[in-house]
Amino acid sequence: MSPEFLYFIETVINGLMSGVMYSLVALGFVLIFKASGIFNFAQGVMALFAALTLVGLQTGQVPFAHLINAIFGTEIHHFGWELPAAVAIAGTLVVMVAFAWIFEKLVLKHLVNQEPIILFMATIGLAYFLEGFGDLMWGSDVKTLNVGIPSGGSFWWEDVTKTWAAEGSDYFGMYIDVLDVYAAVIAVILVIALTAFSQYTRTGRALRAVADDHQAAQSVGISLRSIWVIVWSIAGFVALVAGIMWGSKSGVQFSLSLIALKALPVLILGGFTSIPGAIIGGLIIGVGEKLAELYIGPLVGGAIENWFAYVVALVFLLFRPQGLFGEKIIERV
Amino acid sequence: MTQNHASLDTFPKYLLLNAKRFATRPAMRHKDLGIWQSWTWAEQLDEVRALALGLQAMGVRAGDKIAIVGSNRPRLYWSFAAAQSLQAVPVPVYADAVAEEMAYVLDHAGVRFAIVQDQEQVDKILSFREKIPALEQVIYDEPRGLRDYDHEHMHAFEAVQGLGRARLKEDPALGQAWEAGINGASGDDISIILYTSGTTGRSKGVMLKAVSAVRAAQDTVAFDRLSERDEVLAYLPLAWVGDHYLNYAQGYVSGFCMSCPESPETVSQDLKEIGPSFYFAPPRVFEGLLTSVMIRMEDAGALKKRLFHHFIDVAKQHGEALLEGRNVPFSGRLNYWLGNLFVYGPLKNTLGFSNIRVAYTAGEAIGPDLFSFFRSLGINLKQLYGQTEAFLYVTCQEDKDVRADAVGPAAPNVDIRIADDGEVQFRSPGMFSGYFKEEEKTTETMTPDGYVKTGDAGFFDKDGQLKIIDRAKDVGRLTTGALFAPKFIENSLKFFPNIKEAVAFGDGRDKVGVFLNIDLTAVGNWAERNNISYASYQELAGHPKVYEMMAEHVAETNRKLSEVEMMAGAQISRFLVLHKELDADDGELTRTQKVRRSFIAERYADLIEALYDGSSEKYVETEVTYEDGRKGSIRATVQIRDARTFPVPAGAMHKEAAE
Amino acid sequence: MNAPLKTADLRASERFQMTAHQDGIAKGETLLAVENVSLSFGGVKAITNISFDIRKGEIRAIIGPNGAGKTSMLNVINGFYHPQEGTITYRGEKRSQMRSTDAARQGIARTFQNIALFKGMSTLDNIMTGRITLQKRNIFWQALWHGPAMKEDLEHREAVEHIIDFLEIQHIRKTPVGRLPYGLQKRVELGRALAAEPALLLLDEPMAGMNLEEKEDMSRFILDVNDQFGTTIALIEHDMGVVMDISDRVVVLDYGRKIGDGPPDEVSQNQDVIDAYLGVSHD
Repeated sequence: MSPEFLYFIETVINGLMSGVMYSLVALGFVLIFKASGIFNFAQGVMALFAALTLVGLQTGQVPFAHLINAIFGTEIHHFGWELPAAVAIAGTLVVMVAFAWIFEKLVLKHLVNQEPIILFMATIGLAYFLEGFGDLMWGSDVKTLNVGIPSGGSFWWEDVTKTWAAEGSDYFGMYIDVLDVYAAVIAVILVIALTAFSQYTRTGRALRAVADDHQAAQSVGISLRSIWVIVWSIAGFVALVAGIMWGSKSGVQFSLSLIALKALPVLILGGFTSIPGAIIGGLIIGVGEKLAELYIGPLVGGAIENWFAYVVALVFLLFRPQGLFGEKIIERV
Repeated sequence: MTQNHASLDTFPKYLLLNAKRFATRPAMRHKDLGIWQSWTWAEQLDEVRALALGLQAMGVRAGDKIAIVGSNRPRLYWSFAAAQSLQAVPVPVYADAVAEEMAYVLDHAGVRFAIVQDQEQVDKILSFREKIPALEQVIYDEPRGLRDYDHEHMHAFEAVQGLGRARLKEDPALGQAWEAGINGASGDDISIILYTSGTTGRSKGVMLKAVSAVRAAQDTVAFDRLSERDEVLAYLPLAWVGDHYLNYAQGYVSGFCMSCPESPETVSQDLKEIGPSFYFAPPRVFEGLLTSVMIRMEDAGALKKRLFHHFIDVAKQHGEALLEGRNVPFSGRLNYWLGNLFVYGPLKNTLGFSNIRVAYTAGEAIGPDLFSFFRSLGINLKQLYGQTEAFLYVTCQEDKDVRADAVGPAAPNVDIRIADDGEVQFRSPGMFSGYFKEEEKTTETMTPDGYVKTGDAGFFDKDGQLKIIDRAKDVGRLTTGALFAPKFIENSLKFFPNIKEAVAFGDGRDKVGVFLNIDLTAVGNWAERNNISYASYQELAGHPKVYEMMAEHVAETNRKLSEVEMMAGAQISRFLVLHKELDADDGELTRTQKVRRSFIAERYADLIEALYDGSSEKYVETEVTYEDGRKGSIRATVQIRDARTFPVPAGAMHKEAAE
Repeated sequence: MNAPLKTADLRASERFQMTAHQDGIAKGETLLAVENVSLSFGGVKAITNISFDIRKGEIRAIIGPNGAGKTSMLNVINGFYHPQEGTITYRGEKRSQMRSTDAARQGIARTFQNIALFKGMSTLDNIMTGRITLQKRNIFWQALWHGPAMKEDLEHREAVEHIIDFLEIQHIRKTPVGRLPYGLQKRVELGRALAAEPALLLLDEPMAGMNLEEKEDMSRFILDVNDQFGTTIALIEHDMGVVMDISDRVVVLDYGRKIGDGPPDEVSQNQDVIDAYLGVSHD
């Protein structure tokens, strides 16, 4: 094989890997949108918050240390112990579920039957609150997250691919980050598990029922409020997974919350209500971005990754507004 | 299994054999509560034995007639074997027969017992109880809704089997005695009485001897190489010879597995799940399938549509050649392989045709395009010609010699001859032994030298395949002297997917007139695409645009007729679209959905008069029967149109001179 | 000829029974009593001082001209509306403020005048949701794919299959209900209500918008449900013929007041009822 072709393959693989990351975030959006019709602007911040909490628990940080120090003049920062990754993850999950429960109690409960735009505004508020709250609780410095997932290039893969190149070409093998591979595998498992859960369990059916018709759901005895807690908990769980992946890759910092913006074009591509759509959309954006960078990038001076996804989304809005897998929007007269 | 072929002359004997040779292989399946339940041959023997011993205790004796009414259920199929094992005679009755029809058959056959599916049938029987004095006991399969009925003469199927099982437990010798009874039975006993649906008058009870029935099935099982590894879905009416022969008789002889659908409405899904290897359907079923496929493609996306049409063209070009093992260029093979991957495979899977090894169609002429469509997908669809009096097969096509316009050479061991007046006559192993209690009709049907008159006119073409033109008595002449074969005309019209049914008139008249029924699915879909709104069949049928469409179809038919020398003189001169669909409940169609021309002529005498007196519309009132037996009426003003005809070409080569 | 058969032996057992909401109330005793109930919306009276009862095992019809307060009455029974005055006694217990999901948990299932099915879900899944209140294992075990939780799901699936069989809708088991014709949707909705094995089944115009044949089918199903499972049914219906045919007792409402109560033939002789129906239309 020629090196050019191998570069192409490498780009596609790397594109798929980063696409999986986009999909993970988009998935959180889809879950909440399907079940409650809410576009959750705070999904990205939830991922950041989850990652912050995870690091905090893992390293034994004292929550609100800054605040406490400022008020009491103390200088505490760490408890002095470190938690194993698994325990810290479980702890974070508990925090996310508690957060979902509190959010339902304090906010959603009072907004039942409001316009979607009101609920959307509520999630914007939530996003800003959570961002500040996260800062206050865990500090605003950039943190490294390590839950034991290996990272760095795979030498084995480099060696294997080196032999593929044509004799005499100076090809050094493909670079693939092991972390990306783990992320992809975990994302696949997550999607399969979520799909199975929603198809074959009572709660899954209840989730779909609520997404379909609130009144009918209530009449068969489904409590909307507990369903909302469940949905937000699951979204929190997905945010945690996304937070772990992104955090392990590029550190836990404020910019993590901006990945939510990357999820938007993915949703437009895949459709707001489709789980497979979120996955495929993420992959398409990931691969498209990387390929565009490789082939068109040199012509326009690079940095295509910053805007490519949005252009694709724009084109889709013009020609297929419901997305690849979304429900067809038919206005009946 | 040839070692004792000759001694196997009843179906219960095959049951005993199969329970040994195929003990653990599936004999029967039935989808119940969403799950396929299955019975091996050994288990099937147990079920039949339990039922037979129960029936015996209830007083069933050799020679008793037992009515069997319902849809395709394992228990009803076991009832056949159980009755036969006691040398009683099963008499299946169409489940959708109205009470009056059913009363006639039950009374004529003199049934002492009736085994029925459910409350619906029980109610029907109770409604004419006094008309059938011979009937003593009714056994029902599904208890639903029957709990509070008087159970003095009524029993649940499982209770009867329970009785049989209890007797067997008490006295195991009964089982041996039962088997001895089967082994001692003679093949000359009547195996079954099948009531024909009858295009005219009352239905007749066709008696078939056990040995004839078994021999006929042995021949066709060998002909199509059916074995215990084959699968069928039994969805045809239980009382029809086709179901009894293709599924029951061939099943017992070959040992294949018969699956019963969950309900009559789920057949298409069950077909997909079972994937039968042997399949039969009348042409109208294939027509319906093609129509639904085409409609679905109309709604598909542009890419899908293009892909579909491209590969269907490929199939048209190469499919049949590949099926028949003829030479196909490599590019053609490759293209077909791709087509199979993207289109034919998934399509066959959706239709439940993935595993078909042999499929037949019969009952009426099948359109060549329709026929080729299915064959080109790689489905070995063939034609046969048959009759209840022959226990089905008279002719059937060989795998490699299949055509749409003929029905094949004589089936194995069948003698066929064409009488002077064109009537097809045959002698066959499965030939009937007479009409029950109707000697004179039996003599009318048989020739003195022992051939059965089919009542169909036909001829052998140069390849030795039989071609049927029409019912012998229906082939008539116009007053102009031109030959008038109504069925030929009707079938030519029915080739158009928009026309569901056609009835042609002209014998003894100066010209040909036809009634048409539009196909509500096809025309309805067309109407939707063209923004034509309609509230009912009647309204759509009378729509001017529909009439325009029909006029085109009729003109095209006339053009085709003008090309056939024999038929050119009897082109359609006037037509109308009927205001209601022809329906078996109104007696316009037979239970097997054939048109009853003379009945229709009588019922719509006003419209026929209007066809011939030149009027352009006619007001009519028609009585209709609803499913529950109530009557109502439909009123309409029916339009009548002149049809475009084509001059009879002087030479056959001369084409399209009309303008 | 052998010994005659004992008829009792020959009755087949019913394959499926509804036992989830047994309450020890004998057939014919009061299951639900409405006493002096009044309901108003912002000063507009929808129901005025109405009392009647529903007895275990009967088919009770609530009829009346348009705007008579029938659906409001059903919503009160179902806990969707809370009456300002009066009491409701269900299974011998006076009912206090309840949430709308509580009714389902107490064995009251209902259908809606304008079908409220989950349009995007299959017939099977729709009916399965009817059993949600009967499923015990919590989300934690379901999420872990825990054996007993899965087994429980299968048992419920079997019960649902019996209902599918009962309503003769096998052919649409996997079809999204949004694609079904109206009559079948009504049937699926009945199926979903039945799946809860209710002690009291509320049907809001089960035959509205149906043709004659569909009405007959639906009447047969309602009678069969009542007969086979002993389910108590309260229904609202416009078609007087149907009501007279299938119900045991009828309550007649007009302008939110009760104007008649009793067996169908008696009620149809009642002068007030005749006036309400034949008199000036309320529309």
